[in-house]
Formats: sequence, structure tokens, C-alpha cells
Amino acid sequence: MSTEPSRPMPRGRLILAILGAAGLAALIVLGAILPAEFNRDPLGIGKLSGLARLWAPDEAVIDPGKSGVAAAQEYATPFRTDVIEIPLGDFLAGADRSELEYKVRMPKGATLIYSWEVTGTSEPRDFHYDQHGHTMPAKGQPMTVATWRQGFGLRQNGALTAPFDGIQGWQFSNASEKPVVVRLRLSGFYDLIASGQPGNEAGIVANVPATEARPPR
Amino acid sequence: MNRLPSLSRKTCALAALLALCGATAAFAHNIGGTDAAFVAAARGPDPIPFMYLGAKHMVTGYDHLAFLVGVIFFLFRLRQIALYVSLFSLGHSITLLAGVYFQWNVDPHLVDAVIGLSVAYKAIENLGGFRTLFGGQIDPRLAVFGFGLVHGLGLATKLQALKLNPDGLLTNLVSFNLGVEIGQLLALSLILVVMTLWRRTRAFEPTAQAANVLLLLAGFVLAGHQVAGYVFGGAVS
Repeated sequence: MSTEPSRPMPRGRLILAILGAAGLAALIVLGAILPAEFNRDPLGIGKLSGLARLWAPDEAVIDPGKSGVAAAQEYATPFRTDVIEIPLGDFLAGADRSELEYKVRMPKGATLIYSWEVTGTSEPRDFHYDQHGHTMPAKGQPMTVATWRQGFGLRQNGALTAPFDGIQGWQFSNASEKPVVVRLRLSGFYDLIASGQPGNEAGIVANVPATEARPPR
Repeated sequence: MNRLPSLSRKTCALAALLALCGATAAFAHNIGGTDAAFVAAARGPDPIPFMYLGAKHMVTGYDHLAFLVGVIFFLFRLRQIALYVSLFSLGHSITLLAGVYFQWNVDPHLVDAVIGLSVAYKAIENLGGFRTLFGGQIDPRLAVFGFGLVHGLGLATKLQALKLNPDGLLTNLVSFNLGVEIGQLLALSLILVVMTLWRRTRAFEPTAQAANVLLLLAGFVLAGHQVAGYVFGGAVS
């Protein structure tokens, strides 16, 4: 029983064959496989031949349950979109007309996408906002407060994920000599706060033109 | 070391196939895509699908096939083929089952590099190279068994990468192994048909050595690819 060819390869040719195969294999690995599969190009052949373009990074699949990044979440609260036009008087009209607070109710973990812009003035220093949120504690309980952004400016775009059950929104203050309108667009998982309730004490009505959005004094 | 009398003067073909193996070198050989998703989701014994996966892995596994070609290159009697293939199967069954079951932690790239070298080894053996160079060689039966152990380790790392559920593990494992044997038989039959046809032609004698040199090249390329994978990281392939 044998597994041999009856005629083995002569010594010289054998050595040549082994060295040749090793050399060619090295050339294939260095010149083709490294550029195409590993994004390495020691001989420059990958770039010349275009083989290097075959390389693409591996996809790193994260486990949302374990990682620290944002997770895909689902909410019991229905999805909604609202446009709220908030008219604000000039600063001479008094604080109760030129300032107000507008918030929405959000369960913990819910996300709100917001975008607002002030029309009526082009001077950013004339308009102040204070974006914050807080819990609605029972009597005698402490309130949890989170301040997100404070500053002067005429617009804000962003998204907010509520860290607790409570209300989230803005205190808007107009310091210009002209009345302005804040056009606030919201989307996400939240509820509007009824007129007169904490968060909407000014009684702003959503999804109507600015002229109808605020009860007259 | 053991000197066996040289008997058979058979050689075989598949030169074109091997040249292709050596040239393309894109040996995607892990369990991927939807199959991986299936395995990861499997709960409890599921013998038929695992058997299929084992067979598929073997039939599409260039490294295992190249080694098999090398093994049967100069075997022409069915009894010899059965003996060598059984030794190979015994070897890879032991390490596949034990490796997965006892959760051996082996680097897949290094195992696959050794599998590539096993192809090169077999090619040199087929060229009578160990005798020519060193005046002797390891008993080919022992070698095929030993490399069978390594190939099984390679199979084990591929299955382990998929995080098998412990529920029904043994059944699925044995099914996978059975599938590997079925796939090996299928591939072997095909290889044998081509080899037999090749051996009958006059072209066989002069091309047999060239074919083994190509096999040698394929083995070196496979090994080099895996060493690159070990050095530079990246997906097991």
C-alpha cells in the first residue's frame, strides 16, 4: 500500500518548486490578499491594480442592551406632531405678556424632537430662552429639576430624551421693543398640557395661528 | 518515521481547480449570514438543519477539499481511500466534538493557518519530497490522522464563533459532525470521478507533479492569508 508517486520529483526541482511556490504565495498574499482583505498594501500593488478598492471595513454590530449608546425604544404614548405659535409682547408690555413658560408632559425615556424660531426680531440678544424640565412631585416631596440649555438666541433645533416622568419645555423671554412670535415645532412622544395647568399657565393653544393662540388679557 | 514501498503510479488532475484556488485566494470559509443567524437563534435539538450546515460547510470549504484532493491524489484502490478518509474523519470528529463541547479556546486564524500548511505538507509528501530532502517521512496514515485533528479544531472554532445555545448542544453538535461526514463523502465522490477520468488520460503522468506544486502553492496561500488575519485581525474567513 502506498501513497507515493513511483517517480518522486528530483531534488533540485523539488527545492525549486517549494521555494517557487512559497515565493509566489508570498506575492499573492502581500500583493492581492493584504490589499483586498486587510487594507494593507506593502508592495503598492493593491493601489496600482485597484484591488485595494475591494476592501471594506467590517461591520461592528453593537448590542443595544449592553452598550452605553442610545437604544431603540418603544412607547405607550402615541406619536404626535404639533406646531405651537406663541405670541410674546414687547418688553414694555410687562412680564406677563413678554415672558412665558411652555412645556409638554413626557414619560421617562420618551423622546421629543423640537425646533423653534423667533420671528419679529433679528437681534439674537433680544431673546432669551431657558430650556429645562422637572418632575411633578406630590406635596412635601422634593422636585427633580434638569436644566438643558440657557441663553440668548432666535432658534434651537434638537432632541431631548426625558430622564424622568415630568414636564419639559422652555421659558421664553422677549426683551426687544417689538412683539415677536415663537414658532415651536414638536414631534415625538409627549402630551400637551391643558390650558392653565403647570407648564402651560399662559394658556397657549397649539396648532392655531399666533393671533388665536393666546387668550387676551 | 516509516518507509512505505512505493506502489501506485496514479496521479490526478484538478490542476485548473487548484490554480483557481491559489489565484483567487478569497476563501470565505466561515459560517455566515443567515446561517449564522439561524445557529445563534437555535434553541434545543435541531438535527436536520445542523446536519445540513455541516455538509454545506464541508462542501464549500476549499481548505478541507484541497487537503482531501492531496490525500487521495495517489490512492486508487477504494480500500485505501476508505482507510485514509476514515482516519481523517476520526481525527476531525474527535476535535470538533471535544473542542466545542469542552469549549477549547483556540485562535481560529492560527488553526486555519496550520490547515493551510497541512495542504502544503500533503503536496510535498505527494512529490516524495520528505524522502528526497530528509531521507524519510512520517507514516502518511499518522499524518492524515494528525491533520484530521487540526481540521476538526478548525471546524470547532467556526461553530464556537456562533455562540451555540447549550440547550440541545450535543445533538446539534453530533448532527453537524454527521453533516460534515456526509458533505465530505459527496465532495469526495465528485473529486474521485474527476480524478479517475484524469488518471485514464495520457496527460495525467506529466501533469501530476505540476498539480501537486499547485496544491503546494494553494496551501501556502491559505496559510499566508490566515497568518495575515492573525496579525491584522479582522473577520475569520
